[in-house]
Order: sequence, then C-alpha cells, then structure tokens
Amino acid sequence: MPPVVVLKDLVKEYSKRRAVDGVSLEIGEGEIFGLIGPNGAGKTTTLRMIATIIKPTSGEVVVCGRDAVREASAVRKLISYLPEEAGAYPNLSGKEYLKFMASFYYEREEDAATAVEEGERISGLGDRLKERSSAYSKGMKRRLQLARALMVKPKLAILDEPTSGLDVTHAFHLRRIIKEYAERHGITVLLSSHNMLEVQNLCDRVAFMNEGRVVEIGPPGGLMAKYGVATLEEAFMKVVGFA
Amino acid sequence: MPSGLRLMVVKEVKDLLRDPKILVGMIIFPALLLPLMGAAINVATSSTIEKASGNLTVYVVDDDKGPFSEALLSYFIANNVEVKTLLGPPQESAKGLGGGDVLIYIPQGASGNLTSGSRTGMLMFVNFKSFSLVEFIVSGRIDSILSVFEGELVKRTISEGMPGRDAGEVLDPITVEYESIVKGEAFPLSPAVLQSTVKMQTMMGPIVIMLVLILAMQIAATSIAIEKEAKTLETLLTVPVSRLSILFGKLAGSVSVALLATVANVLAFTYYIGAVLGTAGIGAGDLGEAAAKLAPAPEGYLILGLSIFGALISALAIALTLGTLAQDVRGAQSIIGVAILPVFLPAVFLMIGDISTLPSAFQAALYLIPFTYPALASQALFTGDYGMSLFGLAYMALFTLGMLYIAARIFSTERIMTARITLKARRME
Repeated sequence: MPPVVVLKDLVKEYSKRRAVDGVSLEIGEGEIFGLIGPNGAGKTTTLRMIATIIKPTSGEVVVCGRDAVREASAVRKLISYLPEEAGAYPNLSGKEYLKFMASFYYEREEDAATAVEEGERISGLGDRLKERSSAYSKGMKRRLQLARALMVKPKLAILDEPTSGLDVTHAFHLRRIIKEYAERHGITVLLSSHNMLEVQNLCDRVAFMNEGRVVEIGPPGGLMAKYGVATLEEAFMKVVGFA
Repeated sequence: MPSGLRLMVVKEVKDLLRDPKILVGMIIFPALLLPLMGAAINVATSSTIEKASGNLTVYVVDDDKGPFSEALLSYFIANNVEVKTLLGPPQESAKGLGGGDVLIYIPQGASGNLTSGSRTGMLMFVNFKSFSLVEFIVSGRIDSILSVFEGELVKRTISEGMPGRDAGEVLDPITVEYESIVKGEAFPLSPAVLQSTVKMQTMMGPIVIMLVLILAMQIAATSIAIEKEAKTLETLLTVPVSRLSILFGKLAGSVSVALLATVANVLAFTYYIGAVLGTAGIGAGDLGEAAAKLAPAPEGYLILGLSIFGALISALAIALTLGTLAQDVRGAQSIIGVAILPVFLPAVFLMIGDISTLPSAFQAALYLIPFTYPALASQALFTGDYGMSLFGLAYMALFTLGMLYIAARIFSTERIMTARITLKARRME
C-alpha cells in the first residue's frame, strides 16, 4: 500500500534561520503518527508545509501521490488541517461554521448536510451549536475545530497540538475521538504534541524532532525498549542528549 | 458564480453584518446620528427664528425730543416695534435690560443737525447676555429698520432739493442686470444665486464619495485582519477553495456591506442637509429656468456611477493588499488611517477650488490618485465636461487591475501568513 505522506529532504528557511532541516519520513495509510519535540523544533513548520500553507525552500512533500507545491489544490481536497490556535468566526454559530466549512468539500448539499451531522456528533456540543462561537469556552472551541477537521473524512488529518491548553476532561474526550475516528474510517492522522504521554498512548509511530531535524523515529514501545526507558519522555531526553 | 466564491461572499456578508462594530458603528449609528443632528439643528434654528421674529421692543432715551426723534419713533411703531421710553443716562439704563434688548439714544440737537444739513449721531446699545443667535438677530432687525428709515429720510431730502427727479434713480443711477451662461445658454441669473446652489451640490458629491470610500476601505482591510486575529485564516487557506475566491469573496462582501452603509449614510446625510438647508431657506427654486439646464444629463450619472464603482474597487484593492500585511485589527486600522489620506486630498481640493488653477505638480499628483476622478465626475454633472472623467475610468481600471494583481500575488503565496508591517506609532502605545 503506497504511503499517504512522503517527505524527502524537506527544508524551510526563514531569512537566515533554518526552521526545518532535511526532514525525510513516510506515513502509511490509517496510521496515527506523532511529531514530538520542544518549541522551535520545526513541528508546526513541517505540518504547515504538508497542509500547503507554506512552500518548502527545498525538498519534496507528497500526499497520496500528489505534490503539495505543484498540486496544492488537489492536496487540499484530501487533507484537513487543525492549526494549534484555530478559531471559528465569532459571529457565526457553531453549526453555521460547520456548514460553511463542509460546503467547500462537497458539491451536493445532501453530502455536506451529512458531514455537518457527523460534525455535530463528533463535537458533542448539542444545542450549544446553535450559539455563536464567541460564547464558547476554549474546550468547546477545540471540540468544534476537531469536529470540523474530521467530519469531512479526509485521507489525512493534520492536527497541530490538538489538546493544547485543554483540561484533562476535554483532552481525554478529544483523544478518544481521534482514536475512534481514525480506526473506524481508516483516516491517517499526523499530529504534533508536547505531551509525550498523549503521544505514547495515541500514536502508532512517532518521530522525535529537534532543531529542525528528525532525530529518531519508530513505534513508542519500540523506542522505549531501544533506549531502555519506561516513558517516551525519557527516550526523547536520551536521544537529544539531556539524559 | 463559482461555489467557493459564492460561499465566501455569503459568509463575509453574514459575518460583517453580525459584527456589532460594523452594524452599529457604520450603519445604525450614522443612520440615526445625522438625522438626529439635523432635527436638533432644525428645531433649535426654527425656535430661534420664531423667537427672534416675534414682537420687537426698542428702548429709547430721547434727549432730542424734536421732529427727527418723533418721526423715528413713529416709524418704529408703524413697523410693529413697541417703543419704551426711558430716562437717565443711556449706558446705565442699557445695563439693566434683558439679553438681546436694544436701547437707542437720540442726543440733544439731532433734529437741528439734520435740518441744517449736518450729520447727526445716535447710539445703539445692545445688551448681550447669552450670545445666542436670538440676541444677534434682534439687534440686526432693529438695525435694518433704522437703515430703511435713513433711506426714506435721504429720499425725502433729495425730493425736496431736486423737485421732479426720482430719488431712487438719483441714489442708484446704474442698474446691473446679470446673464449667467450655463452650458452655452444665457439665463437672467446672478452669479451669487448660481453659486449658492451649485456649490452646495458640487460639494456634496466629494463628501459623500469620500465617506463611501473610507467606509469600504475600513471594512475590507479589517476583514483580513479579523481572519488573522480570530485564527481562522490558517484553516481557510487549507480548504479546497482557491485563494482568488477568498480574495474576491472578501472584496464582494466588503462592497456589499459598504454599499449598504453608504445608502444608510447618504439617506441620513440627505435628511441632515435638507433639514439644515430647509431651515436656512436655501434651495434651487431661485434658479428658475436654469435649474432645468443645470440638471445633470443621464450620461453624467452613468459616468459618475462608473467612477464611484471604479474608485470603490481601487480603494478595496488597496485596503485588501494593506490588510494582508497587518497582524491584527488594530494594526489594519492604523495602516488604513494613513492610507485614507489620498481619499481626503482630492475631496478637500475639489470642494474648495478648481483643479486647473493648481500648480502643475499638484495637478499631476491629484490626477495620479484614482479617487480624484469620482469627485471630478460629480462636478462634471453640472459642467457637462466629461473628458477627464472618461480618462479617469480608463486610469482607474488599470490602477485597480494593478492593485488586484498585487493582492492576488500576496494571497497566492505564503506572504499572506508571513508578511508583517507595523506603524511606529503602534510600538509607542
């Protein structure tokens, strides 16, 4: 089965700073793949290049066989991206927002309506979806955004820090949804996180990123065994030389 | 319309109209404020005029007690002015009067001076207490009656000294009749009457156009900044919709809301001007037959409409381009605060003067600003000279295409996410 994501020698430079420095990896269909690393490691820049927001300085991004630079429009039909600080339009209700976003993916209104129903279910917000999103708490906004990202059943869901800033309950709910949805619909998920425990429990494979480079890659269990540690956090610290 | 663009336009209009800052600040507030101001001015002016037009009273200290003072007091009474005679020093008496009250002091010997052919003096005291319009109007009315009385006195003297001659002809031996040429046709109209009406109308055009452009620019520039501030732009850029659809959706949404705001503002402004001018008694009625000749031709309206539309799109293209470079709404507002300067300049110049009388460098600078042409087109409604307006249409089309090209370039690259400009003033906040 061909990989859903292929990154080859991916480089992104801003002025004189190299944010991503020769990243290469492949992600298979249905995989939940995690990018782990400290702030400034290049996780978000990598995700943004895959999501067609920014172009690589050099190297290649291929999603489902499509080049993310030359065939950006085709790639956008296959992916769904959840930025770290995504917001909704404060003057639209949660349901109106889901409807607006779903309409870009489906030509038939019935299909868009089905996606919106799915989004309503994923969000678990019930009647609160009728309210303007400006009235939502941070957790509710994040649930709405995750629902928006998953309701269209993308080939690849790119989730940047999906549980960032959420309390334990909301974070648990979101992780469960991601896991269930990926399993049920065979969606490939690429996510980034600071939370090593979250990644350890959620991901099939992870890549450690540091200073723009992938320094280690493999299943969480495999990496912990390789470095003889009990947690992914300890494995990361050993890899980057802090332990 | 492609579905992506349609979705963007619908979302933009819905989102903008639900924004209290836009709905209240740009549509409801001006729509209520201007009529309320007009009504307030109307009521205040009407009541002032009514009060000032009421029965007049003049206080008189008469030390003359001769035929002149008798004739003057009788003249006041004949003109429905109540005369109240006071005694004592006039200055002291005047101090005790109410606000706007007028006291006339006729000195001893006034009648004798006039009889001997010498000039006589009088003193008029006006007691100002509130400096309201009423106080000035009342003293003005008494002054007018005195002037008319003086004229009658002069006529009587001329008639007595020059029997058989018409005193009016002696005083005003030259009669000037006016012929104003309007669009090649002569009308018996003084330039002063023509100016009072036409100038008011040619000033209205640039003011209203300026208003529309500023509103539209603010809406367009902040619409991108709102997306950035609400963190919605990053998501929008990854959904299957072309960047041009996002750009033109914002353009169309801003135009729609700007037009709505314009209609509200123009209606409110028209009511305001009507209320104020109605009170002042200024209108086109004095123009007579020239009014029909001055009435703009249909092609004039068409050119004006196209000029306004061209300027609107140019302004939006500039605003969107600059808006993409702002980090947040406040940043966009700061940038637009500077960018609206070229909108003000042509309106101010053309409200006051004639572009052809300006130095060549100023003329060239104004012709380079696309917002000059709608103001010229609004003047051309009355002059019928559409040459520069037509050139302006072609120029604005090129300018707009250029600006839209730049905006589209920014939108189609990652600069939409990474470009940043800030004004130094903001850093000082």
